[in-house]
Amino acid sequence: MTGSQSIWPWKLLLAAILIVMAAGTWGAVNRIDYTWRWNRVPDYFLYKSEESRKIPFDGWVEKIISVGSTSTVSLVSESGEKVTVKVATNTVRVSESEDLFEGDTIGFVKEWRLGPLTTGLWTTLWLSAGASVLALIIGLLTGLARISRNYTLRGLAALYVEFIRGTPLLVQIFIAYFFIGTVFDLSRNAAGIGALAIFAGAYVAEIVRAGIQSIPKGQMEAARSLGMNLFQAMVYIILPQSFKRILPPLSGQFISLIKDSSLVSVIAITDLTKSGREIITSTFATFEIWLTIAAMYLIVTSILSQLVFYLERRLAASD
Amino acid sequence: MIKTSNVTKIFTGRGQIVRAVDGVSAEVAAGEVVVIIGPSGSGKSTFLRCLNGLEQFDEGHIVIDGVDLADKKTDINKVRREVGMVFQQFNLFPHKTVLDNITLAQKIVRKRDRDEAQQKARQLLQKVGIAEKEAEYPSRLSGGQQQRVAIARALAMDPKIMLFDEPTSALDPEMVGEVLDVMKQLAREGMTMVVVTHEMGFAREVADRVIFMDQGKLVEEGTPEHFFTEPKEERAKTFLKQVL
Ligand SMILES: Nc1ncnc2c1ncn2[C@@H]1O[C@H](COP(=O)(O)OP(=O)(O)OP(=O)(O)O)[C@@H](O)[C@H]1O
Ligand SMILES: [Mg+2]
Repeated sequence: MTGSQSIWPWKLLLAAILIVMAAGTWGAVNRIDYTWRWNRVPDYFLYKSEESRKIPFDGWVEKIISVGSTSTVSLVSESGEKVTVKVATNTVRVSESEDLFEGDTIGFVKEWRLGPLTTGLWTTLWLSAGASVLALIIGLLTGLARISRNYTLRGLAALYVEFIRGTPLLVQIFIAYFFIGTVFDLSRNAAGIGALAIFAGAYVAEIVRAGIQSIPKGQMEAARSLGMNLFQAMVYIILPQSFKRILPPLSGQFISLIKDSSLVSVIAITDLTKSGREIITSTFATFEIWLTIAAMYLIVTSILSQLVFYLERRLAASD
Repeated sequence: MIKTSNVTKIFTGRGQIVRAVDGVSAEVAAGEVVVIIGPSGSGKSTFLRCLNGLEQFDEGHIVIDGVDLADKKTDINKVRREVGMVFQQFNLFPHKTVLDNITLAQKIVRKRDRDEAQQKARQLLQKVGIAEKEAEYPSRLSGGQQQRVAIARALAMDPKIMLFDEPTSALDPEMVGEVLDVMKQLAREGMTMVVVTHEMGFAREVADRVIFMDQGKLVEEGTPEHFFTEPKEERAKTFLKQVL
């Protein structure tokens, strides 16, 4: 019996379990009498806004030129001042030579606008990206300090890592915003990114340290025996080799960072999670929104792991 | 070329104090091939590593080409350029191709440009007999080929002295010959060499002088004829009985 023959019953079992779970959820949801409104969700990504255009003075309509779906309305004030206003043709509320008072509506402009889920996602992404870059720098320096010969550097790095790993991220975010943020007058974004970076940096440091220590001692000795100084040996020999080994745990750390970034919503940064909470206060689509947000996090993190997977395969060339 | 006086290296670990190298004074003239032999743990590797500063010694002086390693002002990186080292475990850079292994240090330490470094590398690969492998990664070479690349890598820096620490001990028997051949050729060309090895045949054939170490001390030294036929010291006699 081969491996491929024996696996399909297990695949069937997996499918069966998933179907039972889905059916169970479906049944439970049906009993609590919830009205699904999935059709509302797309509006939270992208919607068409109608904005009114008003006349800025008392005056009259000189002429209206319609080209396709836009109309250009020329207005003249009592003192002879002229302005033109562009609105959608089918929303024009005025006719030529009509007298108007300041603030009367001429028509509407239709525009595509990004919804809160999109802007929230964007905030989450740049927040995580910024924090990742900083965490990488902090982690690299701290990781190197951890294995340095200097006792003070080692001690500082060890204390930092211990402190960060021994306290909850949520508490760190509060400290960063309410304490450090107040003392140094930081914006909430700076405090949020800073807290995330310092948190992830401690874990990156441990990953970097382990990665460097996993390179056989002979590599450093060979590099030094060729006359390279410590810095050159690190940059050309040790770090490139460690990088390959630390890439998988490092990507795991950055995926965690994206997920952990949802905690910055507690200091009122409108990231994806906070956007979700705001949407729900004005709509009743609680289930849909949270499910959508979960799916969005999932998509972002899986894209990232796919990228890393691709990178790993490319780096494997010398194995 | 090399002059060591009273070199002592002490390892302290787990409450134990090991005098790995214990007051070794020796000299190596330019163009000379000196082979160091001795039982396992006698401090041969440690002594050799002291010669290029991979190990810091506690007492004594090592003067290489007029530069004292014990002097705090000595730039050890400068000394290492002149002293090539070949390791038991090859220690090639696994993330670099054979060619890059040989050109890297030339470029960043000797500041040669790419073409010059590559030309030098190809010439040396030719010399050690694996010109066709320049684009391979080290993991795809046999042990003997890897060690020959390692020798080429050290030679590319144009060292005045070459140190070898049991260069054939990690090799399958059928590959020992190809590496020893390269070393013999180097010796013939007049390279100053210090070789730690268990290959008594090599010592006999190539060495100008043999140094026997035991328990960190230089116990006996002399020409191969003298050492292999009529050693004075009891410990050397016992050792030779075991290995020959
Ligand atoms: N880094 C170290 N820390 C502590 N002790 C060490 C260290 N390196 C070597 N030693 C000790 O120093 C002594 C000499 O070791 P060395 O490696 O120089 O011997 P060797 O003659 O090269 O032996 P072999 O033939 O097995 O290679 C040994 O007792 C060894 O245990
Ligand atoms: Mg040894």
